[in-house]
Amino acid sequence: MGFFLRRLAFYFIALLFAATLNFIIPRAMPGDPITMMFANATSQVTPERIAAMKELLGFVDGPLIVQFGMYMKSVLTWDLGISVQFYPLTVNTVLGNAVGWSLFLAGTAVVISFTIGSVLGIFAAWKRGSKFDTIMSPGMLVIQAVPQVVTAMLLLFVFAITLKWFPTSYAYTPGVTPDWTSWTFLKDVAYHAVLPLFGATIVQIGGFLIAMRNNMINLLGEDYITMAKGKGLSENRVVFNYAARNAMLPSVTALSMSLGMAIGGQMIIEIIFNYPGLGTVLLNAINARDYQVLQGQLLVMTLFMLFFNLLADMLYVLLDPRLRKGA
Amino acid sequence: MTTPQISIRNLCVDYITANGDVRAVNDVSFDIGKGEVFGLAGESGCGKSTIAFALMRLHKPPAFISGGEVFFADDNGGMKDILKLSDGEMTVFRWSEMSMVFQSAMNALNPVIPIVDQFTDVIMRHTSKTKYEAVKRAEQLLQIVDIHPNRLTDYPHQFSGGMRQRLVIAIALALNPKLIIMDEPTTALDVVVQREILQKIYALKEEFGFSILFITHDLSLMVEFSDRIGIMYSGQLIEVASSQDILGSPYHPYTHGLGNSFPSLTGPKTALVGIPGNPLNLLDIPTGCRFQARCPRVETVCKTKANPLRDIENGHMSNCHLAVAGESIAVVELATA
Repeated sequence: MGFFLRRLAFYFIALLFAATLNFIIPRAMPGDPITMMFANATSQVTPERIAAMKELLGFVDGPLIVQFGMYMKSVLTWDLGISVQFYPLTVNTVLGNAVGWSLFLAGTAVVISFTIGSVLGIFAAWKRGSKFDTIMSPGMLVIQAVPQVVTAMLLLFVFAITLKWFPTSYAYTPGVTPDWTSWTFLKDVAYHAVLPLFGATIVQIGGFLIAMRNNMINLLGEDYITMAKGKGLSENRVVFNYAARNAMLPSVTALSMSLGMAIGGQMIIEIIFNYPGLGTVLLNAINARDYQVLQGQLLVMTLFMLFFNLLADMLYVLLDPRLRKGA
Repeated sequence: MTTPQISIRNLCVDYITANGDVRAVNDVSFDIGKGEVFGLAGESGCGKSTIAFALMRLHKPPAFISGGEVFFADDNGGMKDILKLSDGEMTVFRWSEMSMVFQSAMNALNPVIPIVDQFTDVIMRHTSKTKYEAVKRAEQLLQIVDIHPNRLTDYPHQFSGGMRQRLVIAIALALNPKLIIMDEPTTALDVVVQREILQKIYALKEEFGFSILFITHDLSLMVEFSDRIGIMYSGQLIEVASSQDILGSPYHPYTHGLGNSFPSLTGPKTALVGIPGNPLNLLDIPTGCRFQARCPRVETVCKTKANPLRDIENGHMSNCHLAVAGESIAVVELATA
C-alpha cells in the first residue's frame, strides 16, 4: 500500500510537470487563435471586437505568470474552457466525443497486436531457426518498418475503394444517430472499425513479437528451464509456466507504454480513415491554433500515459514476486 | 559386482562447430553401483558436465550424442538403453528414475512461481496424486531437508543460497529416483554451508539408498564424499579408482598432478607443483596419449600408440601406457627420492 501511495505521489508530480509543458508548447508556436479566426474575415475587425472575443473565449491578458496561474487552476478543476474552433462547444465536449473512439480503436489494436505478437514470439523462440521463425520474425518487422501512411492508404485503396468490401471513412454510417443499445448500430460500428483496426494492429505485431522472442531466447538458457525439462514436465508447462511467464515481464511495460501512446498516437490511421478520434481532433486543433482544445488534448494524452504507466507498475508487482516488499 | 544401477558404454558427445565436429566426450565407459557415489573430476571443459547432461538427454544443440549406450537398471532386473527411448518415454523416465541437482541453485528455481508449485508440478506429472496429496508430499520433502513446511508458499528469492540448494535437492528426491546426478551442487556455496549440504545428501543417501553421480572440480571434497572416482582429461576418462587409492596411489601422471595442485591442510608447507601447460585443443588432437604434451614422463610409445583405459589392478583403471601394477606414481617417486 505504501508502495502504491508513493507511486501515486510520483505520478501527481509528473502530471504537474507535464501540464506545465502543455502550457508552454502552444504558446511557443507562431500565431494566435484570435488572429487566425479573423484572418479570413472580409470586414474590418476593430480592436474592441478582438478584445470582446478574447474575453468570451477566456484568454487572459497579462504576464505569463498570471496566465499560468489561471491555467493551472483550470487544469486542477478540469475546467478546460471553450473551443475556438467549435465555438460554442466546450473543450470537454469536443474531447469527450472523441476520446471514446480513440480508446476503442487504439486500445483494441494494442491489445490484439500484443496478444498475437506475444504468442507468435513464444513459438518463434521455442522453435528458433524453424521455418516459422525465419519467415515470421523478419516478416513482421518488415511490415512494421513500412510507414503507417503507406499501409493505411494501401488498405483503404484495395479494400475500401477498389473492392468496396469496407466503408472508406468514419466510425459509423453518417446520418445514423448513435444508439449503443441497438445491434444494428454496433454491427455498423464493427464494420467501420475493421480496416482502421487492421491497419493499426498489423504494424504493431512485429515489435511485440521480437520483444517476446528475444526475452524468451535469453531465458531458455536459464537453469530453471533446463531443470523444468529435466523434471519431465509437459512441453506446454515448460513453455508457458516457466519460459513465457518470465519472458512476459518486460513486455508488460512495453504493452502499457503502447497503450498510453496509442491514445493520441493513432493520428495517421484516424486521419486517413476520417475516424472521429483524438488524433483527428489534435490535427484540427493545431491547424486552427485552437489552444484550448490543444491544451486539453495534450492533458488527456498525458493523463492516459501516466495512468497506463501506473497500471504497469501495479501489474509488475502482481506478476513479479521479487518486487513485493516484505514477506 | 552385482548389476550396476547405470552402465555407460562408449559414450561419445560431439559439438558442432564452424571448424568441424568436436568430440567433447570421447568413448567414456563406467558403471555406478546401486547406492554408490561415483565422482567425476577434472578441470573445466574436460566434459564432465556434458556427460551429466547427456545422461539426462538434456544436452543442448550444438551438442549431440554421437555414439554409445547408457543402460539403466529397471525394477524388473533388466537393463534398458535410455539413449534409445523415444522423447515421450524419456519425459516419463526423467526425474522419476533419474533426477538432477543443478550447478547453481540460485538459478535452478523459477523466480516467479511459488516453491509449492515447483514441487507439485513434477509430482502430479509423474504420479496419480491429487493436488492435496502432492502438497502433503512437498511438505514432507521440505521437512526432510530441514526447512519448515510453512515456507512452501514462499518464492525462491525469499530463501538463502544454502536453503535454495536444499530445496533443489528436495525436488530431486520428490519421486524417489534411483540415481541423482549432482553437477557441482555446492560450488556456489561457502564452505560451512557446503559441509552442511553434503552431510545432508549423505544422510539422505543412506536413508533412501539412491546412487549418486557426483561432479566437481574440487578433488579434496570429492575424495571425502565418493566411493569411486573417475578422472577426466580432454573428454576421456583416464583413471578410475576407489577414492582411497586415487590420490594415494595414482597410476596416471595427470591424476598425480591434480593431487599435487591442492595444498595440504595439516602437512608441512611445500611449494605447489601444479601441471604445466594448457588443456588440449580438441580441434588438434595428437596421435597417442592426449596428455603427452604436458606429461613429465612422456616416452616414444605415448606419441604413437592409442591408449585405451585398462584395468591395472583390482578395478583400478588407468589409460597410461607406463602404468604397471604395484608401481603407482607415488611408489615410484618414493623409490627415486
